[in-house]
Amino acid sequence: MSESQDTQREYRDDQQRKTMSHAFSVLCLVISSTAVVVVTTLLISIFMTGGNWIDLEFLTANHRENNPEESGIGQAIIGSIVICAICGIFALPIGVGTAIFLEEFQPRNRYLRLFHGLVQLNINNLAGVPSIVYGILGLTAFVYMFGFFSSIRVNDQPEYEIGARYYYQTKTLGGSYVKFPAKKDYQPTLAVTGSKWVTDDQGNSFRLVIVPNENALSAYQSRLDRAIVVCSIAELVEQEGEKLYKIETIGGREVTFPAERSYGQFSKILEPIDVIGSDGETFQLNVISKRDPLPTDPEIKNRTVVADSPDPKRRSSASIFRETNWFHFHLPFSKSVLSAGLTLALVILPIIIIASQEAIRGVPQTLREAAYGMGATRWQVVRSTVLPSATPGIMTGAILAMSRAIGEAAPLLAVMGGVLGTTLQLSSLMDKTPVLPVTIFKWAGDVNDGYENLSAAAIIILLVILLLMNSVAIWIRYRYEKKLAK
Amino acid sequence: MSNDSAATADNAAAKQFVRPDFPVRSSAGSKRWQAVVVVGLIACSMISLLTTVGIILMLVFESSGFFADDQIDIWEFLTGTRWTIGQSQGQMYYGIWPLLSGTLRITGIAMLIALPMGLITAIYLSEYATKRVRSILKPVLEILAGIPTVVLGFFAVKFITPYLLQPFADFKTFNATSAGIAVGILCLPLVTSLAEDALQAVPRKLREGAYGLGSTRLEVTLKVVLPAALSGIISAFLLALARAIGETMVVALAAGSTPTYTLDPRVPSQTMTGFIVETFKSESVVPGTLSYYSIYAVAAVLFILTFLITLIGQIIRMRYREVYD
Repeated sequence: MSESQDTQREYRDDQQRKTMSHAFSVLCLVISSTAVVVVTTLLISIFMTGGNWIDLEFLTANHRENNPEESGIGQAIIGSIVICAICGIFALPIGVGTAIFLEEFQPRNRYLRLFHGLVQLNINNLAGVPSIVYGILGLTAFVYMFGFFSSIRVNDQPEYEIGARYYYQTKTLGGSYVKFPAKKDYQPTLAVTGSKWVTDDQGNSFRLVIVPNENALSAYQSRLDRAIVVCSIAELVEQEGEKLYKIETIGGREVTFPAERSYGQFSKILEPIDVIGSDGETFQLNVISKRDPLPTDPEIKNRTVVADSPDPKRRSSASIFRETNWFHFHLPFSKSVLSAGLTLALVILPIIIIASQEAIRGVPQTLREAAYGMGATRWQVVRSTVLPSATPGIMTGAILAMSRAIGEAAPLLAVMGGVLGTTLQLSSLMDKTPVLPVTIFKWAGDVNDGYENLSAAAIIILLVILLLMNSVAIWIRYRYEKKLAK
Repeated sequence: MSNDSAATADNAAAKQFVRPDFPVRSSAGSKRWQAVVVVGLIACSMISLLTTVGIILMLVFESSGFFADDQIDIWEFLTGTRWTIGQSQGQMYYGIWPLLSGTLRITGIAMLIALPMGLITAIYLSEYATKRVRSILKPVLEILAGIPTVVLGFFAVKFITPYLLQPFADFKTFNATSAGIAVGILCLPLVTSLAEDALQAVPRKLREGAYGLGSTRLEVTLKVVLPAALSGIISAFLLALARAIGETMVVALAAGSTPTYTLDPRVPSQTMTGFIVETFKSESVVPGTLSYYSIYAVAAVLFILTFLITLIGQIIRMRYREVYD
């Protein structure tokens, strides 16, 4: 083989290699630009579907069943913001505190060092836990509180509660409403909704099995003597001076569990009592028999009820309702904005910690050394030197974490259920509220096709909120960079 | 060069933050105060540790409520191929495989999209892209990373299925493919940014050495940079895998609510996360019932899977990192 042939082949090979390299770069560009195509398509398709539906009414109205035209996201926007705020209030100090501990306080004590390493390892793992698992944790830890408090709950009345007053309310002959304070007592019957420990007449103790409905009975064949259908009625009995509820299982076994005082769903009015009228004044309610002549004066009618109506449902029975203050609070938190905010705080905690750690690591060592040189303690160095200088980075990370929180739907579905619209305004931490991502999810899956456009419109609003939050983060970063460059 | 600019920044920052009237001096009082603060900081750190402990204890105790049931056989749960919990009628089956296979099918499709595309995008950004292309591509990927998953779910069911899939084959309204594509899109920015970090961590010297020997850009990338960054890339893949397995809202919207044990990507396929959300959505969860406990059993499997994958990813990144210099 001659030398020139060799060189020629080498040259051809070189050409080929260069072409290959060039072709690969084109392929890379094509594949990389799919991301741009996807984002564009997504935004365009969503704006086409939902863009026309955004107006003031949509932004302020609430969800209505089977009425997409008049539905809106007023409550959902407020709910999302409130929950995000709660989440930030808890997650930010805890996250920054953990980051300071990890970065600035390397302990010398052996056990503390172990703890330090464990926390660091754990945070990276927590960041990989699916958010739905956090949702289940929130359900168990905040909503039910591991079942510590859930002994008996009637009409959703929690055991430990402040900021709430229970009243019975009834309608008078004149059509006005009057109320009187409710008292806790042993209720003659109780609808059993949750599993609880019960004792049978032989003294065996076991946990009740709750069957969700009659149709599912076949699945519980082997345990019918320990099972009841949900909401079965237990009756109050007295045994050896002890008040107990007694209930018969499907298998015919009689079991009992201890009774506690609670508010009943209804209260009968049989004799005159002091009540509060709708205008707040207190007066005595007239109670007449159905044989008595009905009063004609509207003033008196508004203060009168009939005691013994033949229809048991109308027998002047007053039904329970709850008035809550803004500081309404109870244990367990049950399905409330507080539970939701705390759950989201757990979801974004690792993100805030990692971002804050990076911000703290970015503070130049010379600053710390200068402060140490002036005789500052470690904490003084952190507080007056490291933290001020890391704040922009921490804030940027925190805002990005919050924008993750505001778009999370899965944990909220677990903790609050799929609330779409409530008649009650959000007035305390114990209320439920619809939120944007869950509303989007429920509307997108609704059988009524009209909600599809609304879902897209709600997505646009959510994206706008995210855009605003991210702009703030970018603005902070930009200002900080400008300050440093001075 | 970069050292110089960092030093300038240091000085500028120092001017701003170290004031002449620097108000600190350690005294007995400030040391006591510091001790209090440290206790507070440790308490903060405890919370993240307690979260993990809480998750594990909760899953152990509550799913034991499922397995302690004399009707439930743990072996059948792990190997059974029919799942009917959540459907009120009929005989109850509780084999996890329909849910698990749904998760694996959708994750598989997602990885088919996210891994090659993500890696190639990362290579492009790290080795080829000009500053201008970068300034477009990076923000777009950040936007994609910031889009809530429920939005991608909406996109999957209202756009991908009717316009990209149904014209070409007999896809059901809810199917594994559209959910898989959407989850893939969701994982793309994650793979890209982690893989790009890994590629950029490869020292310049290696590349320059290879160029000096006459390699083309493609050869430098494939034969020098990629092998050097392999551990970082694999850990990026594993993190994306864990993310896809745990993804919830996309599959809840796009994959349907029928558990199926099949390889057909055109039919509905409920995943583990999909089952959990479906149960919460119907608001029929009553504590103490079997379907309530089944959530925890499924969540335990989900947690173990994602936790192991994340852990392996971290170990690979730490242990097999090539150390230069």
